[in-house]
Amino acid sequence: MPEVSKMKKPDVKVVLLGDMNVGKTSLLHRYTERKFKDTISTVGGAFFLKQWGNYHISIWDTAGREQFHGLGSMYCRGAAAVILTYDVTNWQSLVELEERFLSLTDTSNHDCIYAVVGNKADLTDPKAQMSQDTDAVLEDQTEREEDRTEPQVLSAWPTPPASPASLSGMILHKQVTHEDAMALYGRILRYKGLEEKDSLPADKMCFETSAKTGYNVDTLFETLFDLVLPSILRKRNENKASPTVDLEDCRGGSGKRARSTCC
Amino acid sequence: MERDNHQAGQAQGVSFCDPPSESNPPAETLATSLCLLGNHMFPDSVERKEEISTGADKEEPADLHQSDVKPNEQSVDAELLSNQVKKLETEEIETLEELINESTQPTDRDAEDVAMDNDQSDSGEFVVTMLAKAKLEEQGIGVKGRSSPLLEAGIQESPAFISHRDEDVTADSWRQHRKHVFVLSEAGKPIYSRYGSEEALSSTMGVMMALVSFVQSGDNIIRSVYSEEHTVVFLQKGPLVLVCVSSSRQSEDQLRGELLYVYYQIISMLTQASISRIFEHKKNYDLRRLLAGSEKILDGLLNLVDSDPSFLLAAVHCLPLASSLRDSLSQILQKAITPNLVFSILIAKNQLLTIVQEKTVIEDTRLEPADVHLLLNLIGASSAFQAGEIWTPICLPLFNPDCYFYAYISYLDPPECTVCLLLLSTDKEAFYAVAECKRKIEEAMVAQNSLSLIAKAQSYSVSQVGVSDLRHFMYKPFDVPDNYRQLTQFTSPEMEAPYSSDEEKMRLLDLYRYMHSRIHSTSRPLKLIYHVAERETLLAWVTSKFELYTCFSPLVTKACAITAITKLLRWIKKEEDRLFIRYPPKYSTTPNPSKSSRGGKSDQQDTTDNGFLSLL
Repeated sequence: MPEVSKMKKPDVKVVLLGDMNVGKTSLLHRYTERKFKDTISTVGGAFFLKQWGNYHISIWDTAGREQFHGLGSMYCRGAAAVILTYDVTNWQSLVELEERFLSLTDTSNHDCIYAVVGNKADLTDPKAQMSQDTDAVLEDQTEREEDRTEPQVLSAWPTPPASPASLSGMILHKQVTHEDAMALYGRILRYKGLEEKDSLPADKMCFETSAKTGYNVDTLFETLFDLVLPSILRKRNENKASPTVDLEDCRGGSGKRARSTCC
Repeated sequence: MERDNHQAGQAQGVSFCDPPSESNPPAETLATSLCLLGNHMFPDSVERKEEISTGADKEEPADLHQSDVKPNEQSVDAELLSNQVKKLETEEIETLEELINESTQPTDRDAEDVAMDNDQSDSGEFVVTMLAKAKLEEQGIGVKGRSSPLLEAGIQESPAFISHRDEDVTADSWRQHRKHVFVLSEAGKPIYSRYGSEEALSSTMGVMMALVSFVQSGDNIIRSVYSEEHTVVFLQKGPLVLVCVSSSRQSEDQLRGELLYVYYQIISMLTQASISRIFEHKKNYDLRRLLAGSEKILDGLLNLVDSDPSFLLAAVHCLPLASSLRDSLSQILQKAITPNLVFSILIAKNQLLTIVQEKTVIEDTRLEPADVHLLLNLIGASSAFQAGEIWTPICLPLFNPDCYFYAYISYLDPPECTVCLLLLSTDKEAFYAVAECKRKIEEAMVAQNSLSLIAKAQSYSVSQVGVSDLRHFMYKPFDVPDNYRQLTQFTSPEMEAPYSSDEEKMRLLDLYRYMHSRIHSTSRPLKLIYHVAERETLLAWVTSKFELYTCFSPLVTKACAITAITKLLRWIKKEEDRLFIRYPPKYSTTPNPSKSSRGGKSDQQDTTDNGFLSLL
């Protein structure tokens, strides 16, 4: 693209939500920087602009800390996609999604799509552990389903790890199964008053990822970006920006408008 | 020196201002809790003399009675105690070498046995209750902690983050930290510890709280406890109690100032109003719920406080810059505005380049150095800022402790990330408008090639002053009419040889801290000190116009040093425009003036909007 992407207004908004320490920033960092690094707790929210084809996608990485909870709905305003992130080794992080974060999405678009993402899969899944930042290792959903024969964990605190055969490193007990995530996805749809048959299927919208090894990370973001494209096109046809941008245009006056259209 | 004549088996002396008749039982209890605290913090403290100074401490003649009590005895002679005075203040001047290089050989004599006895004795009922409570909690938390996968995951994710938290609080290495800082709630709940996990320290913090409450119950305020090697300073702010245990030989006032910074940093994240509201509602609320993830910011602050003299001087250090360049940068900031923008701040290498303020704000009040320090620390402690643009609520406690600003933070030179732009707005929803300001600023800076000019800017060498014996200095001008209502600033050259290693830097800073404490002593402030130390000579001078600290080579003569200072002052005057932000520019962004003014109504609303109410 010859254009400077920075000068472009974002076409669509994607928001990462989830409890503290589930790896939201790491996921985004893995996707944008292609590497895993130790991050420190995010303050407030961080805004990133990603070029996807001809489109500009803004991604909000939010703080999972309770301290910043009040800002959540602001970050979600007009979102086209929300990535609800939990930690596969922490049941409570899935519970928090429903208790604390789901209500924040009330301000998102009416056609907003939701993804439920279990991060840190490398801690429980040998397959995710081996994956090294490449899409080639990606398995399709059904194949991965076979691995998940462990009993469902129902209590908030886990029983001692059942010492699964580990290939390398430590394998932690998996507290949240793919089925749990899919069940949550169903409840999200009900909360939003959406019919399951009209919405994207749960097995397509529930991911297990590892920001550490890169497992499934690209698939997650790219699937979502492809899915929000119709939303961008619709918006372009309507030639009308989101309410937030509208507000800014009125306030900014003619000078700012001229600037944004000049390139 | 009085403090050196400690005898073996000497018990703690407690200076307490209650009438002797009343002070017997309190003294006993205090002694008990001190033993308990002491056993944890400094194992040899039992044999040493300790002093407690309370809020109503009187200046008495230095007629010091020593209470010789065997370690296993609990009773402390009340009359003797009441005659004890806070010794440090009455001490004769001693050479700094003695202060700093004091031998630190702990004598581990029977310390544990003594503590055991204390535990069994029933003298401090309150303390024991507190301890029992703390123990219960400890267990509760411990069980949870062991099975929490969140904690395990945390350990794996960030080893650096865990290292301090993970420290064994019973180890000698833990005790030997130069400066411990603890924050607890009035209910005795741990909130923060600089080293070691709060859970492991809950009983220690319980004892601290017991000390605070006990003195409080006698309508008094505990301010400090002195032992041979440690100074324990207490600071109570609203529902929070902050405690510093330091072996750094800083003055009590300096340590209390540092605790205040810690308090302000907490306020900057949560606001005073919401903290009071939370604790009014629920006395034993675990504030760590809200501060979780912020420990790094507090850790970073404490490291800065130890290594950066800006905190000591309560002034801001700005990067020396040709005044023409600084002006052009200010103009760029001045032009990129949006409604409700109140501060535009440009930072390079963690030093200030320029600040532009909203007009109404500057008339109303000025930005306090401490608020700028907190902002700089926030930026420094968050490497996550290096990518993307941050939008976060932040409170500037000295500007208004109850309201939030919304801070936009972005680096202008990725991936190097040395030049940082900070824009503060009062409007929570203004992210896109403020981000647009950044685009304008970025564009203008590209057009003027500002980034490469900023990259060339650097701190200066003391050799530029042209005074041969001068090794280092810190100069802080006071508010004089021509910079009235400006940010308090100071200037200082790079620390060069022989102050190149971290240890030597710290040694010089310690010398400066000592000079500062003498200048600002509450009992006997000084205007001019000429201090001949072992490896350097220092001269500190405070006038109505400035505060100056200089460091010379050890062989300088008094006359030489005074000539040097005259030269130095002349040089600073000449370089003033380059060394300081002289005339901070303003802009006007508020259609509605009340929006940005201190304590304005709209600000208040922002606070309530921030979601804390929903937590309760």
